[in-house]
Amino acid sequence: MRRVFADRLMLATAVIVIGMSLLFALYRVAA
Amino acid sequence: MSGAAARQLRFALRGGAWVAVYLVFVLAPLFALLIGPLPPSRDFWTEFSVAIGYSGLAMMGLQFGLTARFRFVTAPWGEDVIYHLHRQISLLAVALVVAHPVILFAVRPELVALLNSFTAPWRARFAALSTYSLIALVAMALWRGRWKIRYEAWHALHIALALTAVAAGLAHMVGWGVYLEAPWKRALWIGLTLFWIGLLLYVRIVKPLFLLRRPYRVSEVRRERGDSITLAMAPDGHAGFRFKPGQFGWLTLWGSPFQITGHPFSFSSSAAATDGRVEMTIRNLGDFTSRIARVPPGQRVFLDGPYGAFTANRESADMLVLIAGGVGITPMMSIVRTFADNADKRPVRLLYGSRTYEEITFREELDALTGRLELKVVHVLQNPHDGWTGERGFIDAEIFRRHLPPPYAAHEYFICGPDVMMDAIERALGGLDVPMSRYHSERYSFV
Repeated sequence: MRRVFADRLMLATAVIVIGMSLLFALYRVAA
Repeated sequence: MSGAAARQLRFALRGGAWVAVYLVFVLAPLFALLIGPLPPSRDFWTEFSVAIGYSGLAMMGLQFGLTARFRFVTAPWGEDVIYHLHRQISLLAVALVVAHPVILFAVRPELVALLNSFTAPWRARFAALSTYSLIALVAMALWRGRWKIRYEAWHALHIALALTAVAAGLAHMVGWGVYLEAPWKRALWIGLTLFWIGLLLYVRIVKPLFLLRRPYRVSEVRRERGDSITLAMAPDGHAGFRFKPGQFGWLTLWGSPFQITGHPFSFSSSAAATDGRVEMTIRNLGDFTSRIARVPPGQRVFLDGPYGAFTANRESADMLVLIAGGVGITPMMSIVRTFADNADKRPVRLLYGSRTYEEITFREELDALTGRLELKVVHVLQNPHDGWTGERGFIDAEIFRRHLPPPYAAHEYFICGPDVMMDAIERALGGLDVPMSRYHSERYSFV
Protein backbone atom coordinates (compact mmCIF):
# COMPACT_ATOMS: atom_id res chain seq x y z
CA MET A 1 0.00 0.00 0.00
CA ARG A 2 2.98 2.26 0.62
CA ARG A 3 3.80 1.48 -2.98
CA VAL A 4 0.34 2.66 -3.99
CA PHE A 5 1.00 5.84 -2.03
CA ALA A 6 4.42 6.13 -3.74
CA ASP A 7 2.69 5.64 -7.12
CA ARG A 8 0.34 8.53 -6.37
CA LEU A 9 3.27 10.73 -5.38
CA MET A 10 4.99 9.76 -8.63
CA LEU A 11 1.88 10.68 -10.61
CA ALA A 12 1.70 14.03 -8.82
CA THR A 13 5.38 14.59 -9.62
CA ALA A 14 4.75 13.83 -13.30
CA VAL A 15 1.85 16.27 -13.47
CA ILE A 16 3.84 19.01 -11.73
CA VAL A 17 6.99 18.54 -13.84
CA ILE A 18 5.02 18.60 -17.10
CA GLY A 19 2.90 21.50 -15.86
CA MET A 20 5.97 23.53 -14.93
CA SER A 21 7.58 22.74 -18.28
CA LEU A 22 4.44 24.11 -19.98
CA LEU A 23 4.72 27.20 -17.80
CA PHE A 24 8.38 27.57 -18.78
CA ALA A 25 7.42 27.48 -22.46
CA LEU A 26 4.48 29.89 -21.99
CA TYR A 27 6.75 32.35 -20.18
CA ARG A 28 9.34 32.18 -22.97
CA VAL A 29 6.77 32.70 -25.70
CA ALA A 30 5.03 35.53 -23.84
CA ALA A 31 8.23 37.33 -22.82
CA MET B 1 -7.94 14.17 16.00
CA SER B 2 -7.52 10.48 16.77
CA GLY B 3 -4.05 8.92 17.03
CA ALA B 4 -4.55 6.96 13.81
CA ALA B 5 -5.68 10.04 11.86
CA ALA B 6 -2.74 12.05 13.20
CA ARG B 7 -0.34 9.28 12.16
CA GLN B 8 -1.92 9.14 8.71
CA LEU B 9 -1.58 12.92 8.37
CA ARG B 10 2.08 12.84 9.43
CA PHE B 11 2.70 10.07 6.93
CA ALA B 12 1.10 12.13 4.12
CA LEU B 13 2.92 15.33 5.15
CA ARG B 14 6.27 13.55 5.23
CA GLY B 15 5.55 12.16 1.76
CA GLY B 16 4.58 15.63 0.54
CA ALA B 17 7.75 17.19 1.98
CA TRP B 18 9.91 14.66 0.15
CA VAL B 19 8.11 15.36 -3.13
CA ALA B 20 8.72 19.09 -2.59
CA VAL B 21 12.46 18.49 -2.06
CA TYR B 22 12.54 16.28 -5.13
CA LEU B 23 10.74 18.89 -7.26
CA VAL B 24 13.14 21.61 -6.12
CA PHE B 25 16.05 19.51 -7.40
CA VAL B 26 14.28 18.90 -10.73
CA LEU B 27 12.74 22.32 -11.36
CA ALA B 28 15.05 24.86 -9.70
CA PRO B 29 17.90 24.25 -12.19
CA LEU B 30 15.36 24.54 -15.04
CA PHE B 31 13.95 27.86 -13.88
CA ALA B 32 17.45 29.13 -13.07
CA LEU B 33 17.91 29.14 -16.85
CA LEU B 34 15.44 32.04 -17.01
CA ILE B 35 17.64 34.32 -14.90
CA GLY B 36 19.67 36.97 -16.72
CA PRO B 37 19.96 37.55 -20.48
CA LEU B 38 17.97 35.04 -22.53
CA PRO B 39 18.34 33.76 -26.09
CA PRO B 40 15.59 34.83 -28.55
CA SER B 41 12.48 32.80 -27.81
CA ARG B 42 11.28 30.18 -30.28
CA ASP B 43 7.83 28.69 -30.79
CA PHE B 44 5.89 27.26 -27.82
CA TRP B 45 6.44 23.56 -28.65
CA THR B 46 10.19 23.97 -29.14
CA GLU B 47 10.46 25.72 -25.78
CA PHE B 48 8.28 23.05 -24.13
CA SER B 49 10.36 20.26 -25.61
CA VAL B 50 13.54 21.93 -24.33
CA ALA B 51 12.03 22.27 -20.84
CA ILE B 52 11.07 18.59 -20.64
CA GLY B 53 14.53 17.65 -21.96
CA TYR B 54 16.17 19.51 -19.08
CA SER B 55 13.68 18.07 -16.57
CA GLY B 56 14.27 14.56 -17.90
CA LEU B 57 18.02 14.86 -17.46
CA ALA B 58 17.64 16.25 -13.92
CA MET B 59 15.38 13.31 -13.04
CA MET B 60 17.88 10.85 -14.48
CA GLY B 61 20.57 12.40 -12.27
CA LEU B 62 18.33 12.19 -9.21
CA GLN B 63 17.99 8.46 -9.75
CA PHE B 64 21.56 8.09 -8.48
CA GLY B 65 20.48 9.86 -5.29
CA LEU B 66 17.58 7.46 -4.68
CA THR B 67 19.81 4.39 -4.73
CA ALA B 68 22.78 5.88 -2.88
CA ARG B 69 21.71 4.11 0.34
CA PHE B 70 21.32 7.32 2.36
CA ARG B 71 19.41 6.36 5.47
CA PHE B 72 17.67 9.73 5.77
CA VAL B 73 16.26 9.29 2.25
CA THR B 74 15.18 5.68 2.58
CA ALA B 75 14.23 5.44 6.26
CA PRO B 76 10.73 6.99 6.06
CA TRP B 77 9.77 4.66 3.22
CA GLY B 78 11.72 1.46 3.38
CA GLU B 79 14.22 0.42 0.78
CA ASP B 80 11.74 -1.62 -1.24
CA VAL B 81 9.48 1.40 -1.77
CA ILE B 82 12.44 3.57 -2.76
CA TYR B 83 13.48 1.02 -5.38
CA HIS B 84 9.90 0.85 -6.60
CA LEU B 85 9.91 4.66 -6.90
CA HIS B 86 13.29 4.48 -8.66
CA ARG B 87 11.75 2.18 -11.28
CA GLN B 88 8.57 4.26 -11.71
CA ILE B 89 10.46 7.54 -12.01
CA SER B 90 12.77 6.05 -14.63
CA LEU B 91 9.69 5.45 -16.79
CA LEU B 92 8.71 9.10 -16.44
CA ALA B 93 12.26 10.31 -17.12
CA VAL B 94 12.45 8.16 -20.27
CA ALA B 95 9.07 9.44 -21.42
CA LEU B 96 10.28 13.04 -21.05
CA VAL B 97 13.64 12.39 -22.70
CA VAL B 98 12.02 10.59 -25.65
CA ALA B 99 9.25 13.19 -25.99
CA HIS B 100 11.90 15.93 -26.27
CA PRO B 101 13.13 14.96 -29.79
CA VAL B 102 9.73 13.62 -30.88
CA ILE B 103 8.13 17.04 -30.32
CA LEU B 104 11.04 18.77 -32.03
CA PHE B 105 10.80 16.47 -35.06
CA ALA B 106 7.05 17.13 -35.25
CA VAL B 107 7.34 20.92 -35.26
CA ARG B 108 10.62 21.19 -37.17
CA PRO B 109 10.76 18.22 -39.60
CA GLU B 110 14.16 19.33 -40.94
CA LEU B 111 15.68 18.20 -37.62
CA VAL B 112 14.93 14.53 -38.44
CA ALA B 113 18.17 14.57 -40.46
CA LEU B 114 20.00 14.71 -37.11
CA LEU B 115 19.05 11.07 -36.55
CA ASN B 116 21.69 10.11 -39.12
CA SER B 117 24.64 9.76 -36.80
CA PHE B 118 27.11 9.64 -39.71
CA THR B 119 26.35 13.21 -40.76
CA ALA B 120 24.97 14.74 -37.56
CA PRO B 121 27.12 17.02 -35.37
CA TRP B 122 28.52 15.63 -32.11
CA ARG B 123 25.94 17.42 -29.98
CA ALA B 124 23.20 15.43 -31.79
CA ARG B 125 25.18 12.18 -31.63
CA PHE B 126 25.40 12.58 -27.85
CA ALA B 127 21.62 13.08 -27.72
CA ALA B 128 21.09 9.86 -29.68
CA LEU B 129 23.58 7.96 -27.50
CA SER B 130 21.88 9.20 -24.33
CA THR B 131 18.38 8.32 -25.56
CA TYR B 132 19.34 4.85 -26.84
CA SER B 133 21.21 4.06 -23.60
CA LEU B 134 18.20 5.11 -21.58
CA ILE B 135 15.79 3.01 -23.65
CA ALA B 136 18.12 -0.01 -23.38
CA LEU B 137 18.45 0.55 -19.64
CA VAL B 138 14.71 0.64 -19.04
CA ALA B 139 13.99 -2.29 -21.35
CA MET B 140 16.57 -4.42 -19.54
CA ALA B 141 15.22 -3.43 -16.13
CA LEU B 142 11.64 -4.26 -17.15
CA TRP B 143 12.39 -7.54 -18.89
CA ARG B 144 15.48 -8.81 -17.09
CA GLY B 145 13.55 -11.86 -15.92
CA ARG B 146 12.02 -12.63 -19.30
CA TRP B 147 15.36 -12.25 -21.08
CA LYS B 148 17.01 -14.43 -18.41
CA ILE B 149 19.83 -11.96 -17.76
CA ARG B 150 21.88 -12.90 -14.69
CA TYR B 151 21.40 -10.35 -11.89
CA GLU B 152 25.11 -9.63 -11.48
CA ALA B 153 25.66 -9.01 -15.23
CA TRP B 154 22.51 -6.92 -15.43
CA HIS B 155 23.58 -4.78 -12.48
CA ALA B 156 26.98 -3.95 -14.03
CA LEU B 157 25.35 -3.11 -17.36
CA HIS B 158 22.65 -1.07 -15.63
CA ILE B 159 25.27 1.17 -14.01
CA ALA B 160 27.27 1.50 -17.27
CA LEU B 161 24.15 2.45 -19.26
CA ALA B 162 23.00 4.93 -16.60
CA LEU B 163 26.38 6.66 -16.60
CA THR B 164 26.41 6.76 -20.41
CA ALA B 165 22.87 8.16 -20.57
CA VAL B 166 23.54 10.95 -18.08
CA ALA B 167 27.03 11.88 -19.32
CA ALA B 168 25.95 11.89 -22.98
CA GLY B 169 22.81 13.86 -22.07
CA LEU B 170 24.94 16.49 -20.41
CA ALA B 171 27.37 16.62 -23.36
CA HIS B 172 24.38 17.14 -25.69
CA MET B 173 22.99 19.90 -23.48
CA VAL B 174 26.29 21.74 -23.14
CA GLY B 175 27.06 21.21 -26.85
CA TRP B 176 23.74 22.70 -27.95
CA GLY B 177 23.93 25.30 -25.22
CA VAL B 178 21.05 27.61 -26.22
CA TYR B 179 20.28 28.23 -22.54
CA LEU B 180 23.77 27.57 -21.23
CA GLU B 181 25.58 30.57 -22.74
CA ALA B 182 26.26 32.08 -19.33
CA PRO B 183 29.21 30.31 -17.66
CA TRP B 184 27.42 30.08 -14.29
CA LYS B 185 24.46 28.29 -15.87
CA ARG B 186 26.83 25.84 -17.56
CA ALA B 187 28.63 25.37 -14.24
CA LEU B 188 25.32 24.79 -12.44
CA TRP B 189 24.21 22.00 -14.77
CA ILE B 190 27.63 20.38 -15.09
CA GLY B 191 28.14 20.65 -11.32
CA LEU B 192 24.75 19.12 -10.51
CA THR B 193 25.28 16.25 -12.94
CA LEU B 194 28.74 15.57 -11.55
CA PHE B 195 27.25 15.63 -8.06
CA TRP B 196 24.73 12.91 -8.99
CA ILE B 197 27.45 10.82 -10.60
CA GLY B 198 29.55 11.47 -7.48
CA LEU B 199 26.84 9.77 -5.42
CA LEU B 200 27.35 6.64 -7.45
CA LEU B 201 31.09 6.85 -6.85
CA TYR B 202 30.36 7.31 -3.15
CA VAL B 203 28.37 4.06 -3.00
CA ARG B 204 30.79 2.13 -5.21
CA ILE B 205 34.17 3.46 -4.01
CA VAL B 206 34.04 5.53 -0.81
CA LYS B 207 31.63 3.32 1.10
CA PRO B 208 33.45 0.09 0.16
CA LEU B 209 36.69 1.68 1.42
CA PHE B 210 35.05 2.08 4.84
CA LEU B 211 33.68 -1.46 4.70
CA LEU B 212 37.10 -2.84 3.81
CA ARG B 213 38.36 -1.65 7.18
CA ARG B 214 35.44 -3.26 8.99
CA PRO B 215 35.29 -6.88 7.87
CA TYR B 216 33.32 -9.69 9.49
CA ARG B 217 34.15 -13.38 9.93
CA VAL B 218 31.64 -16.17 9.51
CA SER B 219 31.62 -17.82 12.92
CA GLU B 220 29.00 -20.50 12.24
CA VAL B 221 27.08 -21.98 9.32
CA ARG B 222 23.86 -23.61 10.49
CA ARG B 223 21.38 -25.64 8.45
CA GLU B 224 17.74 -24.75 9.08
CA ARG B 225 14.46 -26.32 8.03
CA GLY B 226 13.10 -25.25 4.64
CA ASP B 227 16.39 -25.50 2.69
CA SER B 228 17.78 -22.48 4.52
CA ILE B 229 21.17 -21.69 6.03
CA THR B 230 21.96 -19.34 8.89
CA LEU B 231 25.27 -17.50 8.70
CA ALA B 232 26.47 -16.16 12.04
CA MET B 233 28.99 -13.37 11.56
CA ALA B 234 31.16 -11.55 14.09
CA PRO B 235 32.98 -8.25 13.59
CA ASP B 236 36.71 -8.73 13.01
CA GLY B 237 38.74 -6.07 14.80
CA HIS B 238 35.94 -3.53 15.35
CA ALA B 239 32.75 -3.15 17.38
CA GLY B 240 30.27 -3.77 14.55
CA PHE B 241 26.96 -1.92 14.46
CA ARG B 242 23.66 -2.10 16.33
CA PHE B 243 20.49 -2.66 14.34
CA LYS B 244 16.79 -2.57 15.06
CA PRO B 245 14.87 -5.84 14.73
CA GLY B 246 13.45 -6.04 11.21
CA GLN B 247 16.33 -4.24 9.48
CA PHE B 248 18.61 -5.71 6.84
CA GLY B 249 22.15 -5.42 5.51
CA TRP B 250 23.91 -5.79 2.16
CA LEU B 251 26.10 -8.87 2.26
CA THR B 252 29.20 -9.40 0.13
CA LEU B 253 30.34 -12.98 0.60
CA TRP B 254 33.04 -13.45 -1.95
CA GLY B 255 35.59 -10.92 -3.09
CA SER B 256 35.87 -7.36 -1.89
CA PRO B 257 33.22 -4.77 -1.05
CA PHE B 258 34.13 -3.09 -4.36
CA GLN B 259 32.29 -5.90 -6.12
CA ILE B 260 29.31 -4.32 -7.85
CA THR B 261 26.63 -6.63 -6.56
CA GLY B 262 25.81 -6.94 -2.88
CA HIS B 263 22.81 -8.93 -1.70
CA PRO B 264 20.26 -7.60 0.78
CA PHE B 265 19.25 -9.97 3.62
CA SER B 266 17.33 -9.35 6.83
CA PHE B 267 19.06 -9.95 10.12
CA SER B 268 17.46 -12.92 11.84
CA SER B 269 19.30 -12.65 15.16
CA SER B 270 18.32 -10.68 18.24
CA ALA B 271 19.06 -6.97 18.11
CA ALA B 272 19.81 -7.10 21.83
CA ALA B 273 23.25 -8.66 21.20
CA THR B 274 25.94 -6.23 22.35
CA ASP B 275 28.99 -7.96 20.84
CA GLY B 276 28.22 -6.91 17.24
CA ARG B 277 27.45 -10.50 16.22
CA VAL B 278 24.70 -10.78 13.61
CA GLU B 279 22.97 -13.63 11.83
CA MET B 280 21.32 -13.84 8.44
CA THR B 281 19.15 -16.74 7.39
CA ILE B 282 19.14 -17.35 3.67
CA ARG B 283 16.95 -19.73 1.69
CA ASN B 284 18.32 -21.58 -1.30
CA LEU B 285 16.42 -19.99 -4.19
CA GLY B 286 18.67 -21.51 -6.84
CA ASP B 287 20.70 -18.39 -7.67
CA PHE B 288 23.54 -16.86 -5.64
CA THR B 289 21.85 -18.29 -2.54
CA SER B 290 22.61 -21.89 -3.60
CA ARG B 291 26.30 -21.23 -2.81
CA ILE B 292 25.68 -20.19 0.80
CA ALA B 293 25.93 -23.78 2.05
CA ARG B 294 29.53 -23.92 0.82
CA VAL B 295 30.69 -20.91 2.88
CA PRO B 296 33.35 -22.16 5.32
CA PRO B 297 33.40 -20.89 8.92
CA GLY B 298 36.15 -18.28 9.27
CA GLN B 299 35.52 -16.76 5.83
CA ARG B 300 35.87 -12.99 5.65
CA VAL B 301 32.69 -11.20 4.55
CA PHE B 302 31.51 -7.59 4.32
CA LEU B 303 28.29 -6.18 5.69
CA ASP B 304 26.83 -2.79 4.84
CA GLY B 305 24.03 -1.90 7.20
CA PRO B 306 21.73 -1.53 8.92
CA TYR B 307 18.99 -0.39 6.54
CA GLY B 308 15.23 -0.52 6.31
CA ALA B 309 12.11 0.90 7.90
CA PHE B 310 10.65 -2.48 8.85
CA THR B 311 10.81 -1.63 12.56
CA ALA B 312 8.23 -1.06 15.29
CA ASN B 313 6.89 2.46 15.78
CA ARG B 314 7.63 4.19 19.01
CA GLU B 315 3.92 4.66 19.64
CA SER B 316 2.60 1.57 21.27
CA ALA B 317 0.12 -0.60 19.45
CA ASP B 318 -1.96 -2.99 21.50
CA MET B 319 -0.52 -5.96 19.60
CA LEU B 320 2.15 -6.75 17.04
CA VAL B 321 0.96 -8.90 14.15
CA LEU B 322 3.77 -10.52 12.18
CA ILE B 323 2.79 -12.02 8.83
CA ALA B 324 5.48 -14.08 7.15
CA GLY B 325 5.60 -16.15 3.99
CA GLY B 326 8.49 -18.63 3.63
CA VAL B 327 11.86 -17.02 4.20
CA GLY B 328 10.02 -13.77 5.04
CA ILE B 329 10.20 -15.20 8.58
CA THR B 330 13.76 -13.87 9.04
CA PRO B 331 12.96 -10.28 10.14
CA MET B 332 10.13 -11.67 12.31
CA MET B 333 12.59 -14.00 14.04
CA SER B 334 14.76 -10.99 14.84
CA ILE B 335 11.71 -9.24 16.33
CA VAL B 336 10.63 -12.19 18.53
CA ARG B 337 14.19 -13.06 19.58
CA THR B 338 14.75 -9.43 20.60
CA PHE B 339 11.47 -9.52 22.54
CA ALA B 340 12.69 -12.67 24.31
CA ASP B 341 16.08 -11.13 25.20
CA ASN B 342 14.42 -7.98 26.49
CA ALA B 343 11.71 -9.93 28.36
CA ASP B 344 9.19 -7.84 26.41
CA LYS B 345 5.71 -9.11 27.23
CA ARG B 346 3.74 -7.18 24.60
CA PRO B 347 1.31 -9.51 22.80
CA VAL B 348 2.54 -10.81 19.46
CA ARG B 349 0.69 -12.89 16.85
CA LEU B 350 2.72 -14.58 14.14
CA LEU B 351 0.82 -15.76 11.05
CA TYR B 352 3.33 -17.88 9.20
CA GLY B 353 2.79 -19.43 5.77
CA SER B 354 4.95 -22.40 4.73
CA ARG B 355 4.71 -25.10 2.10
CA THR B 356 4.77 -28.12 4.42
CA TYR B 357 5.08 -28.82 8.13
CA GLU B 358 8.61 -30.15 7.65
CA GLU B 359 9.72 -26.99 5.87
CA ILE B 360 8.73 -24.56 8.64
CA THR B 361 12.00 -22.71 9.28
CA PHE B 362 12.63 -22.10 13.03
CA ARG B 363 9.62 -24.29 13.97
CA GLU B 364 11.10 -25.72 17.16
CA GLU B 365 12.48 -22.40 18.36
CA LEU B 366 9.14 -20.70 17.75
CA ASP B 367 7.42 -23.44 19.79
CA ALA B 368 9.84 -22.78 22.62
CA LEU B 369 9.37 -19.01 22.42
CA THR B 370 5.59 -19.26 22.70
CA GLY B 371 6.16 -20.43 26.28
CA ARG B 372 8.37 -17.47 27.16
CA LEU B 373 6.54 -14.63 25.41
CA GLU B 374 3.00 -13.44 24.87
CA LEU B 375 3.42 -15.04 21.46
CA LYS B 376 0.86 -17.04 19.54
CA VAL B 377 1.97 -18.70 16.30
CA VAL B 378 -0.51 -19.68 13.59
CA HIS B 379 1.00 -21.91 10.92
CA VAL B 380 -0.69 -21.84 7.52
CA LEU B 381 0.36 -24.73 5.30
CA GLN B 382 0.07 -24.82 1.55
CA ASN B 383 0.52 -28.61 1.32
CA PRO B 384 -0.51 -29.97 4.73
CA HIS B 385 0.04 -33.62 5.62
CA ASP B 386 -2.85 -35.95 6.43
CA GLY B 387 -4.21 -35.22 9.86
CA TRP B 388 -3.16 -31.54 9.92
CA THR B 389 -5.88 -29.68 11.75
CA GLY B 390 -4.41 -26.18 11.50
CA GLU B 391 -4.88 -23.52 8.85
CA ARG B 392 -4.28 -24.42 5.23
CA GLY B 393 -3.95 -22.53 1.95
CA PHE B 394 -2.81 -18.92 2.01
CA ILE B 395 -3.02 -16.20 4.65
CA ASP B 396 -6.11 -14.08 3.96
CA ALA B 397 -8.70 -11.86 5.63
CA GLU B 398 -10.60 -14.93 6.93
CA ILE B 399 -7.51 -16.10 8.82
CA PHE B 400 -7.14 -12.59 10.29
CA ARG B 401 -10.72 -12.71 11.51
CA ARG B 402 -10.25 -16.15 13.08
CA HIS B 403 -7.02 -15.38 14.91
CA LEU B 404 -6.88 -11.64 15.61
CA PRO B 405 -9.08 -9.76 18.04
CA PRO B 406 -10.84 -6.65 16.71
CA PRO B 407 -10.44 -3.70 16.35
CA TYR B 408 -7.93 -4.57 13.64
CA ALA B 409 -6.73 -0.98 13.22
CA ALA B 410 -5.39 -1.00 16.79
CA HIS B 411 -2.62 -3.52 15.97
CA GLU B 412 0.68 -2.87 14.23
CA TYR B 413 1.35 -5.19 11.29
CA PHE B 414 4.61 -6.42 9.76
CA ILE B 415 4.38 -8.26 6.46
CA CYS B 416 7.23 -9.96 4.63
CA GLY B 417 6.97 -12.57 1.92
CA PRO B 418 6.67 -13.13 -1.81
CA ASP B 419 5.11 -10.33 -3.88
CA VAL B 420 1.86 -12.15 -4.58
CA MET B 421 1.31 -12.79 -0.86
CA MET B 422 2.15 -9.17 0.04
CA ASP B 423 -0.35 -7.83 -2.51
CA ALA B 424 -3.10 -10.12 -1.20
CA ILE B 425 -2.44 -9.22 2.43
CA GLU B 426 -2.24 -5.47 1.80
CA ARG B 427 -5.63 -5.75 0.05
CA ALA B 428 -7.05 -7.78 2.94
CA LEU B 429 -5.83 -5.22 5.50
CA GLY B 430 -7.38 -2.45 3.42
CA GLY B 431 -10.66 -4.40 3.53
CA LEU B 432 -10.40 -4.54 7.35
CA ASP B 433 -9.95 -0.73 7.46
CA VAL B 434 -6.38 -0.94 8.71
CA PRO B 435 -4.73 2.37 7.70
CA MET B 436 -1.43 2.36 5.82
CA SER B 437 0.41 3.95 8.73
CA ARG B 438 -0.40 0.83 10.77
CA TYR B 439 1.55 -1.62 8.73
CA HIS B 440 5.06 -2.18 7.49
CA SER B 441 5.71 -4.26 4.45
CA GLU B 442 9.00 -5.31 3.02
CA ARG B 443 9.42 -7.12 -0.24
CA TYR B 444 12.47 -9.29 -0.39
CA SER B 445 12.45 -9.28 -4.17
CA PHE B 446 13.08 -5.54 -4.43
CA VAL B 447 16.38 -5.59 -6.29
